[in-house]
Amino acid sequence: MKYPPALSRLSFSWYSENAVATVIFAVLALLPAFLSGYVIYIVPQYLLYGVLAMSLALLWGVAGILSFGQAAFFALGAYAMGLAPHWTSSVDPFYLALLVSLLIGAVLAGVVGYFLFSAGVRDVYFVLVTLALSIMTEQITVSQSDITGGYNGMFIPRAQLSFGGVSLDLSADVPMYYTILPIVIGIYVLLRLVVASRFGKVLVGIRENEDRVLSLGFRTSLYKTAAFALSGAVAGLAGALYGTHASFVSPSLAGVLFSTQVVVWVAIGGRESLLGALLGAVGVAALSNYLTAITPEYWQLVVGIVFVIVIMAFRGGVAGALIRLGSRPPMEPERG
Amino acid sequence: MAELLRTEGLSKRFRGLVANDAIDFTLQEGEVRCVIGPNGAGKTTFISMVSGHLSPSSGRIVFRGRDVTHTSVPARAQMGIARKFQTPSVFDRLSVYANLELASFGKPASAAERERRIAEALELTRLVELRALPASALSHGQRQWLEVGMLLANRAELLLLDEPTAGMTAEETRATGELIRTLADTHRLSVIIIEHDIAFIRELKAPVTVLHLGRVLMTGPFEAVAQDERVRSVYLGKE
Repeated sequence: MKYPPALSRLSFSWYSENAVATVIFAVLALLPAFLSGYVIYIVPQYLLYGVLAMSLALLWGVAGILSFGQAAFFALGAYAMGLAPHWTSSVDPFYLALLVSLLIGAVLAGVVGYFLFSAGVRDVYFVLVTLALSIMTEQITVSQSDITGGYNGMFIPRAQLSFGGVSLDLSADVPMYYTILPIVIGIYVLLRLVVASRFGKVLVGIRENEDRVLSLGFRTSLYKTAAFALSGAVAGLAGALYGTHASFVSPSLAGVLFSTQVVVWVAIGGRESLLGALLGAVGVAALSNYLTAITPEYWQLVVGIVFVIVIMAFRGGVAGALIRLGSRPPMEPERG
Repeated sequence: MAELLRTEGLSKRFRGLVANDAIDFTLQEGEVRCVIGPNGAGKTTFISMVSGHLSPSSGRIVFRGRDVTHTSVPARAQMGIARKFQTPSVFDRLSVYANLELASFGKPASAAERERRIAEALELTRLVELRALPASALSHGQRQWLEVGMLLANRAELLLLDEPTAGMTAEETRATGELIRTLADTHRLSVIIIEHDIAFIRELKAPVTVLHLGRVLMTGPFEAVAQDERVRSVYLGKE
């Protein structure tokens, strides 16, 4: 005899998130047909912020590990994109930079994570170390000004892609849009599959009750290290694409302020939903951008108030509130 | 019957306090053993050392002929030593099924084998109809069973149960006794149970080891232990 898992209350969010994601990505795919100009320029940048937010959601929402170091991986990815043309290589610098940014993020996060998690560092102590990682990255990019341009930052030419004879000039907004969007969708789908996998389920277990998972025979420090490495790789890749999109990178991209913003996006969007984190980043970044234009003095105050309201009103962010609304069971089971 | 677990001179000192003092303990394969003793006798300390959650100050732990004294908690779980904590330790926000599924990932197995294990655990713990509910919606007793079910889905071979009937109704306690007997008799699992409930221990018809002040006072069948003068004076007499 075997029993199917049965439709659980939790499955509502799984199917509804798929539906919402499909609609949103379809709208985004059609957007350049109806709009042009600034919107088409800026949306890919917001989406890359969204990927950065998803890298944190994987870590914080799924595995319960908060990191203030995501900006460090993002900035290193952007610098890799800026430096790649200077490396002598037979590979196209754009692809090389994407690969290097993935590896830097994965290796740096993997090494840092391995030592911290094996030593039992967790919660606020882990937050502090990742915060230091951001500050160190910022300081190194400032001090190594021969390579990075220091405070002045570094200009990054937009890439000219060529695959099999077809060339694509990414300096125009529409080709850039259609290069970044599929990558963002691909990363989203990949991360959804990771969360639904056996590995993702163990991470959820670690978030819920790490000692129980450990006592079931899982070396949780290795799972946490792998989650952090994957998160670092995704953040690094997003940073590399951001570098070529923005055509510029400066040390503040690695800073504490930007790292904190990532946490705010994810907290507002909903850390337990990858789509929530993605849309939280897009929404808050768009709101900040809009507010800077109309009230340069007070926009941060407005974003701060939104943050406080969302945190106080809905635990789990906007996505968390929507999931609870949708999955309220017809009958609350009676408690014994 | 082959020997499953042996401890030799197992001791644990917390600063000045001797929680376990040179405990020699042997468990055969398929055996159920109750460990009793007044509060502070060192029962939980003992099974925490067997599960790897505490490391001994001195002495040795041998499981299936291998010295596991310094083996980590997950490595011992991989070998089949599984611990049920004193308060139910389950994944509250996950469904009953997801709890068991996660436990089943603990050791390599085919999908069919894991599903069979999960189904078996659901049936034995009487949670089939409740499998889609989050663990937080279960009663206290059902949560205790779910945790035992997780150890089963995890393919444990030695269950260390720390007060599995704590907080249970009389009916739940009786059903727990049946569950443990089934696990031992038909699933060939070995069990060490820490218990306070004398009626439960009597029903279980299992040998009893009495701890007192960190030492083994005696080991024997329930009737012999219940009639022993020393045991009566330190423990049963106070009931």
